Amino acid sequence: MRPSTLVCSATLATAVTLTLTSCGPPVAPPTRELVTLNGDAYSRGLQHGQQLSAKIKGFYTTLLTASLFPYLGREQPDIATLLTEYGNDRYKNGRFAYELLLDSAKSLERSIPLSAREEMRGIADGSGLTYDEVLILNTFVDSTLAVRGIALAIRLSRAPVLERVEVVEAGSDGADNDGDGMTDEAGEGVLDPYNPTRGATFVELPASFTLKLRVRDSDGVDPALVRLQLGAEPLEATKTELAADLLEVSANVTAPAASTLLVMLGAGDKKVLPNPPPDHASFMRDTELLFTTRGAGLTADQVSWPVLSDGRTRPPSIALSLQGPATAGGAPLIAQHFALLDANTSYKHTAVFVHEPDKGRPFAYVGWAGVAWGFAGMNASGVGYACNSSDTLDNSVVGAVFDQVADLSKAKLVAKGTPIGFAMRRVLETATDAAQAATITRGFEHAYGWSCLLGDAAGGQRAVEVDSDVFKEGSMGFYEYGTAERLSSNGDGDLVIASDYTKNVNDIVRLTVAGQKIVPQREWAGTFFRSRRAASHLLRDVKAAYGQLDRASVQAIISNPEVVDMSDSMNAVVLDLKNRKLWSAHGQVPATKGPFIETEVPAP
Amino acid sequence: MKRLLLVSLLVASGAQAAETVVLPQSTFLLDFSYLQSSLDARYDQDRQKLPLIDPILRYEPGGGLQGTIGARPEAVFRMLVLQLGYGITDNLTALVFVPIVLNTSITANLSWQPGDYQPSLGRPYSQDDFWAWARSMGQPRPPDYAETNKGVLADMVVGMRYKLKPYAWLQRLGLQVAGTLAFALPTGKSPDPEELLVAGTTSWELHSYGDIEAHLSVDRPLFVDEYGVPRINLGADVGYSFFRPREYTAARGTVNPLLLTQAPYVGEKYWIDPGDWFTTAFSIDLNPFFGPAEATIVSGKNVERAKTLPPMVSITLTYNYILTAGSNWWSQSPLWEYDREKMWGQGDKHAFKAQLNLSFLRVGLPLQMYIGYRAQDLFHGKNTRAANTFSFGLRMVAKFW
Repeated sequence: MRPSTLVCSATLATAVTLTLTSCGPPVAPPTRELVTLNGDAYSRGLQHGQQLSAKIKGFYTTLLTASLFPYLGREQPDIATLLTEYGNDRYKNGRFAYELLLDSAKSLERSIPLSAREEMRGIADGSGLTYDEVLILNTFVDSTLAVRGIALAIRLSRAPVLERVEVVEAGSDGADNDGDGMTDEAGEGVLDPYNPTRGATFVELPASFTLKLRVRDSDGVDPALVRLQLGAEPLEATKTELAADLLEVSANVTAPAASTLLVMLGAGDKKVLPNPPPDHASFMRDTELLFTTRGAGLTADQVSWPVLSDGRTRPPSIALSLQGPATAGGAPLIAQHFALLDANTSYKHTAVFVHEPDKGRPFAYVGWAGVAWGFAGMNASGVGYACNSSDTLDNSVVGAVFDQVADLSKAKLVAKGTPIGFAMRRVLETATDAAQAATITRGFEHAYGWSCLLGDAAGGQRAVEVDSDVFKEGSMGFYEYGTAERLSSNGDGDLVIASDYTKNVNDIVRLTVAGQKIVPQREWAGTFFRSRRAASHLLRDVKAAYGQLDRASVQAIISNPEVVDMSDSMNAVVLDLKNRKLWSAHGQVPATKGPFIETEVPAP
Repeated sequence: MKRLLLVSLLVASGAQAAETVVLPQSTFLLDFSYLQSSLDARYDQDRQKLPLIDPILRYEPGGGLQGTIGARPEAVFRMLVLQLGYGITDNLTALVFVPIVLNTSITANLSWQPGDYQPSLGRPYSQDDFWAWARSMGQPRPPDYAETNKGVLADMVVGMRYKLKPYAWLQRLGLQVAGTLAFALPTGKSPDPEELLVAGTTSWELHSYGDIEAHLSVDRPLFVDEYGVPRINLGADVGYSFFRPREYTAARGTVNPLLLTQAPYVGEKYWIDPGDWFTTAFSIDLNPFFGPAEATIVSGKNVERAKTLPPMVSITLTYNYILTAGSNWWSQSPLWEYDREKMWGQGDKHAFKAQLNLSFLRVGLPLQMYIGYRAQDLFHGKNTRAANTFSFGLRMVAKFW
């Protein structure tokens, strides 16, 4: 409602020669709010719910009821054929997705700290949503990502697989192309089977070479659906059916000496699937092969992934931790551009929440109406974090299926553990430095895979990667590193992450269960190659300004279109840990289309 | 009796030429007209001509932009309008206006702009891809064409017009002055909230006349012949149209779950204060052909009296300026309200109308015919919809006692 309208009407009634200037266009309500919450956990939740009641209902309805629920609902028939529990009445009549997510929410609730549960009760009481709805709103990210990961892996198991890569000239070019210390040994230039890696596939290739790729699919690979690109440009290729289920794609590749080149392969099979609609073939994940030509002088791990601007790829979430030698004056900064799920609605419901608890230190995070956490935040001690999803099959829903595999008639897709947002809430509430933040993170069982950066005002910085440790591999699903490991750093002051694992690269053992392959992230996750390119781009940007990086330049780096998902960008944040200032851009898509606005975290 | 009354459906009820005309005491007026109003555009805050609805961006959860649904809907209202008038005194006339919507046809003219590349499909969504996807989530593809409002009443209007007596000062100025007060009765219907291709028939949905209208009209005849019939008449009218706030039911998504699920956050009900209008109009009547005048029953067998009757051919040109206050929406969601209010902000519209009138009173037939066309897109408006209307009507006058 616009108060001015009645005034306008009154003016109209009394003045023939009215001026129109007083009756301007309606003013848009803010799409981002600053919400300060005081008191105990329930009181803060209640204030949150009351202040953002309309937005909470709107966010829940437009994102979940009218978007995600029906989207997940499409999977019910397929899932119910395997997990017959989902054929029961409770999951019928359009309630499948709600009940599925509620099952997980109730399971996850057990691992959510009591104070956070009280806060969610406050949100429910203040907003008018039910507690169950608020619980779903606060847990659906982890549980949906886990279910989506399984669905994606299943889908890819039906799709063509790149199983062999050959560079014909590599066996006789007088160079060590595979980094094994030998030159032109037998089999050099052939990868069979091919497994994606974080670095280059081959290095120091001739400036012109023949590339042969073999793609297999039990339904046959459709030559018409094969797409080969050199960078963003289509690459002319010859397609030869070696067998009913095997296609060889050959191409001559030419590139300048001492250059990096990216070859991208996409392929679909011959079987058209009607479900889920629309009709479609099964497509393999676009697979990217990174090469260098003679003179580049880089090992496979040293090669930086180039930008790919083919209009088909979108950058994933990215984050930076900078301090000491990386920044001007050594100021510790954490920055993030998070992208996942806007759906034309998330941006309308954003908020910076500042908590001033009756016990403990104040803290702030960037989040959404009705949600008690964010993907980035900091506390009054100057401890900050930024977390990006990192798709993995080592997640709690996969674990639940394994736990129930003896009787699939009763098995359900249920997440367990603590959603990352609540783990980070505990970091904000209790951590006094980055090391302690890492310890706190280690203490949780995690519902899904995440890559996070942790930092503090004194310059402490850690990268942590988590998964659900389904097979109890001894790591407790926790992997930590810093700049010293040089896993994703230019020097001693920078850590760069995207939406993949840097240390936990073998996130799950490779095995086959009931015909379904369980494989590491790099072999199936849609964000893997995108992450490689985005992280490389960021590392180059950071290197170019090393030692001079400040808030403004970091904001510019994470606003660069090369690392911005124009459709699903959700928030961009820079945390000035020393000065307890949080700069956030959100409330529009992409988030960086608007300005970064400062919020100061109150002193302890 | 010169010319008779007309309450236009699609003009804000003022500003017809000869708005000062009243019926002689105990005289009835019966007017049937057919109106066809076409609507396919609106004007925004910057007076840009746009389709009636904004493009709809559709996203796949986590999959980016599927594409943009473009729509250039065109709505055509076909209406039968019955007007009844009765001269209570020589200066006071009662009016009843009964608009019946014969049907409303809506052509969606949907289009599609592909969005992000979808790795799972190996292509961006086509329009057919999108609707197949949507159907799998319970959202049917809207029809390209729909007909609704078959034989439905719009809001009826009752009113009174009082014409000032020819006081000496008015005669000195050569002016005729009348005031009109009209009330709309809530006989129209609001559109079905669950449907996409629908249109309502209340005064607010037709955007043509207010719930209460007050007008002050002045005529200035020029080049009047010895029988009191002018060659030219200049008219002016000022009016105020009040719209009452009204309650609507929010869509629950029972038919269109993806596109029309609003009630959970908008609330089961919402309210609109449409905003009132201030109207001004200027008209000119040209009487190029008076025609023969014969002594008939209409003239009481009196040729001289027949020559006082309306000319056989007249042309009326009208310009109507309507200043609209912004609409105000109340719901539980300010964001949702804003998305509506921004399309209905304070604005204006300009209507030009030309009408040819044929009168047969002078030759003994108590019948008049008229045909007219009114355009609202000759001059860009602001925050309004631009309906163009063709009208054709017959008018009879009778006195029974």
